[in-house]
Amino acid sequence: MEHRSIVHRLVAKPEFGPLVLLVVELAVFWAINPEFLSPQNISNTLAFTVELGLIALAMTLLMTSGEFDLSVGSVFGFAPVLMWTLFNSGAAPLEVGFVAALAVAALIGLVNGWFVTGLKIPSFLVTLGMLLVVRGTALFITDGFPQRTWNTGGNWLAWLLAGDFFVGGFRIYMSLFWFIAAALAMGYVLNQTKAGNWIQAAGGNPGAARARGVRVGRTKIALFVLSSMMAALAGVISSVRTSAANPNSGTGYELEVIAMVVIGGTALSGGRGTILGTVLGIFILRVMRNGIVLIGVPGLAYNIFIGAIILGMMALHSWLERRHQAGT
Amino acid sequence: MFRRLTLLLCGMLLALAAPAAAQAKTFYWISHGSPADPVWTYFLAGAKQWAADTGQTVNTSFHNGDVPSHQEAVRAAIAAKADGIVTTSPDPGSLIEVVKEAKAAGIPIINFNTPDPKAAFDAYVGGDNTTFGRHWAQYLVDKGLVKSGDFVWLPVEVPGATYGVQEEEGIASVFKPLEITWEVTDSTLDQAEIISRMVDYLTANRTKIKAVIGLGDLVTGSIKRVFDQVGVKPGEIPVVGWGNSLDTTQEVLTGYVNAAQWQDPQATSYVALSLAAMASGGVPPGFNVITGALYEKDTAAVYDKILSGK
Repeated sequence: MEHRSIVHRLVAKPEFGPLVLLVVELAVFWAINPEFLSPQNISNTLAFTVELGLIALAMTLLMTSGEFDLSVGSVFGFAPVLMWTLFNSGAAPLEVGFVAALAVAALIGLVNGWFVTGLKIPSFLVTLGMLLVVRGTALFITDGFPQRTWNTGGNWLAWLLAGDFFVGGFRIYMSLFWFIAAALAMGYVLNQTKAGNWIQAAGGNPGAARARGVRVGRTKIALFVLSSMMAALAGVISSVRTSAANPNSGTGYELEVIAMVVIGGTALSGGRGTILGTVLGIFILRVMRNGIVLIGVPGLAYNIFIGAIILGMMALHSWLERRHQAGT
Repeated sequence: MFRRLTLLLCGMLLALAAPAAAQAKTFYWISHGSPADPVWTYFLAGAKQWAADTGQTVNTSFHNGDVPSHQEAVRAAIAAKADGIVTTSPDPGSLIEVVKEAKAAGIPIINFNTPDPKAAFDAYVGGDNTTFGRHWAQYLVDKGLVKSGDFVWLPVEVPGATYGVQEEEGIASVFKPLEITWEVTDSTLDQAEIISRMVDYLTANRTKIKAVIGLGDLVTGSIKRVFDQVGVKPGEIPVVGWGNSLDTTQEVLTGYVNAAQWQDPQATSYVALSLAAMASGGVPPGFNVITGALYEKDTAAVYDKILSGK
């Protein structure tokens, strides 16, 4: 009886659907190609996954509050360009460039938040405009030339952000620890604090939340700032790891990140969010991209499979969600 | 007082600018590329340098492979009574009509970077992608790096784009008779995604791949980072491909890439604008200018120096 109750409680959790999807995905890819779970492939998959994951975590909180941010991809490209431009031109040490990049990203988030809450413009339009402004600025200040980042050897900050070391056959990047720390912190904030209640209230029923004293506007502005800063951090980490700061980096990331959050179980309309679900959503999408290459899908058919699998997963997710709703 | 001073200064500026404006001609430089594609930044630099050297005005625009937008830009240049137009071709045959319109308006129009023989351009300046592809494949065969029955990997940023298709045609003309097989894979234009996808493919097919031909600058320039991540040593898998970026010149110098294709990007823009200016002055160009060179380690430093602006 006790055993059934534990199983029932597990099945009733909103993260159960994404967990099932991920386990199925891992099992299928591993069954077709055992190399899929080799230390080298796991290390390679984790390297890029956690960079996108940092953006997705902040996006989860923002979407829970009923807004979303389309400018994260362009901030991902812009922040490292700014940092490396300051550093490579000799205008500032790397540490100052890093702080400047995060500060400018915070300002971008602040402007986004003010337009949405102060001017009452939908976040879709505000952040779409900001996407173009930020991408255009990155192109303009670089003349389109990528900033070279190959001179980071030995810098403590570069190592702290994206350094790597080996544990057995696994290559572990420092970004993994940033991701874990961010996931724990945001999960705690969303589920255990007053701020988390405010975030969910702001997305669920903003009118009622305001009537109960929730500072809906300030909460959303803070989340826009957080979203931009996390995108900037992810961009800087990625630029150090890939030795490239290209103004075009991050194109299309916003949609992939939103897909990760929604697959994880956060409601697109706001009011309900889950960090654990997002972590699962991140891995579902990135593992899928890695896995279909490893099982030998033809190179030019890649997008067909990605699209079809996303549709299939969303259908399965929807079915599991309906079962979950019916059971509660 | 201040208003009068301002008026005076404006008058002086106009007086100084008028003779220069009368002499300067206006040319339009129109590209189907992306401003964030490293190679196009060098093409653009060539156009800017030509404008600075000659004192002429060059209006530049990028159209990201969008044919209607590209055609609109050429028509805008015609409407603005440009002294000359230099343009790439976003798609073979896509500029036939607008080239006719430019000619009807008496405006010289030069094709650069991507040839389009169907349109009646005054001249073409640039490389020949089919020939480049054939040279890359022949290089691998002649050096004994691939043989009959081998498999070669062809990563590309934008599958289906003219450059990759033409290069693959050239490669096929060498590989098919020798029964060497190949696969083109989609790597996208995003640096982190390129590395991620290339690492995945190499991890899955490492034992099968006997050589790599990078069909674009971004993919070839990512080889070092991909090989390092997968644990492939420089030279273990032979690589040829595009070489118009500092990343690739460094890869050639350090042995990750065997040979890379230089396209003379700055010179291509510079010469194309020179031909347009010459035609505008009444001397029609009766010839094409073919650019490009395949370089190896011994000459890579030359191109590294050009690209780093040293």
